[in-house]
Amino acid sequence: MSALATRLSGIALESPLVLASGVLGTTASSLRRVALAGAGAVTMKSCSLQPRAGHPAPCILPWGGGILNAVGLSNPGAEGAAAEIAEFKRTCPVPLFASIFAGSAEEFGRLAGRIAGAGPDLIEVNVSCPNVQSEFGIPFAADPDACGRVARAVKDAAGSIPVSIKLSAQCASLARMAEACQRNGADAITAINTAGPGMWIDTGTGRPVLSNRVGGVSGPAILPIAVRAVYEIRKAVDLPIIGTGGVSCANDALQLIMAGADAVGIGSAIYGGGIGLFGEINRGLEDFLKEGGYDSIGLVKGIAHREDRP
Amino acid sequence: MSGRSLAMSSHEMHTLPVKQVVFHHDGLQSFVFPRAFDAEPGQFVMLWIPGVDEKPFSVSDVTDGKIEVTAKAVGPFSRALMNCKPGDRLGLRGPFGRGFRPRGRGLVVGGGMGIAPLRYLVHRLEQDRASFRIVLGARTAEEMMFVGDFSRLGAQFATDDGSLGRQCLVTSLAERLCEEERFDLIYGCGPEPMLVALKKLADRAGIDCQLSLERHMKCGIGICGSCCVDGSGICICREGPVLDRAELDLVADFGLPHRDATGARKGAPAMA
Repeated sequence: MSALATRLSGIALESPLVLASGVLGTTASSLRRVALAGAGAVTMKSCSLQPRAGHPAPCILPWGGGILNAVGLSNPGAEGAAAEIAEFKRTCPVPLFASIFAGSAEEFGRLAGRIAGAGPDLIEVNVSCPNVQSEFGIPFAADPDACGRVARAVKDAAGSIPVSIKLSAQCASLARMAEACQRNGADAITAINTAGPGMWIDTGTGRPVLSNRVGGVSGPAILPIAVRAVYEIRKAVDLPIIGTGGVSCANDALQLIMAGADAVGIGSAIYGGGIGLFGEINRGLEDFLKEGGYDSIGLVKGIAHREDRP
Repeated sequence: MSGRSLAMSSHEMHTLPVKQVVFHHDGLQSFVFPRAFDAEPGQFVMLWIPGVDEKPFSVSDVTDGKIEVTAKAVGPFSRALMNCKPGDRLGLRGPFGRGFRPRGRGLVVGGGMGIAPLRYLVHRLEQDRASFRIVLGARTAEEMMFVGDFSRLGAQFATDDGSLGRQCLVTSLAERLCEEERFDLIYGCGPEPMLVALKKLADRAGIDCQLSLERHMKCGIGICGSCCVDGSGICICREGPVLDRAELDLVADFGLPHRDATGARKGAPAMA
């Protein structure tokens, strides 16, 4: 058994590294490719009940500190996503996390039921996308009560499949949000979604570049926010945490694990490092464990909280 | 700042003025930008018309301090592009992707708009004193781009209506040349049925091929996943657009309907 093996809500992962939602996650073929590159689990791009084409381009823009994106949740709809899940499960043993988004708790529940039928290993609930506010309003992730209702609806529809709620760092209290998730049956928390939204203006024309004008900020710029968020959530609840945000090397992943994450999402860094990054970070984590005399990655989890204990 | 995912500066957005517009035919124009550009033939750029959209285009030539892109009016974006005049500011990002990797004696095969990037390719092959033959196909003589340039290099032409060269498919010209002469590599860009025929030709002849594929692209940098092929799952925008024979063997949807902007396979039921 590898020192990187871990468990998340009862799911055995060979590595704590998880492909984050929104990156290379539309088709079974691309998810399988990332799984084979060393991800412990892969998360699909968020799907909705009906297909969506998303926003016009430019919708993804690299800049010096990371990436701005307003893809606009393009996806083939529940039926298309379910077909990709089924194909992936038929051809690849690596755990697959579905991701869902909807406009109301009731719709979240209906969608979760459809997706659960395809048999993903976990359902991640995207209540925090900053790119569709004109359409869906302020994300549920800013209001503990609304978020709790979504968690309950999805949990009721998902049967035995574990449910993780994906939170934004931008709320009055991450502790209150996490507690609302736990109280309403969530099995795990994913934190954080992209930050912002942000804007990039082309100075040659004086126009915002993204067609949506604003977009979520990801990449190295948000790593310290993600580390702080995971640290706060770990203080508040015992739920497993998929820590996500700006990770591009083993040291970044270790920060999230030390803050209390059980698994670590990787997304935007694939732009700079390619999918070989999963193997590279796995090796970096193994080297760290060996040098520190740790038998298992689990022994590092949450150690940043030690100083706070009496 | 940790990690290394700083943007390549060529992928950040900068606008610059159109320097020159070359009119080929109604709805078929080239646009020249004043930018020194280090691109391989077969790589592509993203053109942004502020307030309209951003789309990928192959590079039809690179000369000292200038880059040229050639486009045909097919949708709202390319129709808006046809109205752009010298001095208008457009966004130009790139190069993106992996282009042609020339080696040995080449057979260059192009169809329709796929001829554009091959113009830059043959200029480079000529510069490198490589041995190569060219066959090009289009619907009509008017839609055949850069005829003078390609004729100078001995190209053979095929048109659907016989208005230029032979009245046949360009793949027929390619097959005949493969029977008469020895090639190491087939370079191809054009409609996918043409590429499928070229792949079969390469398989039969036992030689390699490098074919430029199209899929629905959004990000251009290999992360959004909208251009991933079925099978191997590679991104056409990053590992492609030019794939070799071994890579094409792993493209399960080669010659089949592709995915649209939602990620659904075209023709597949998409209603929930």
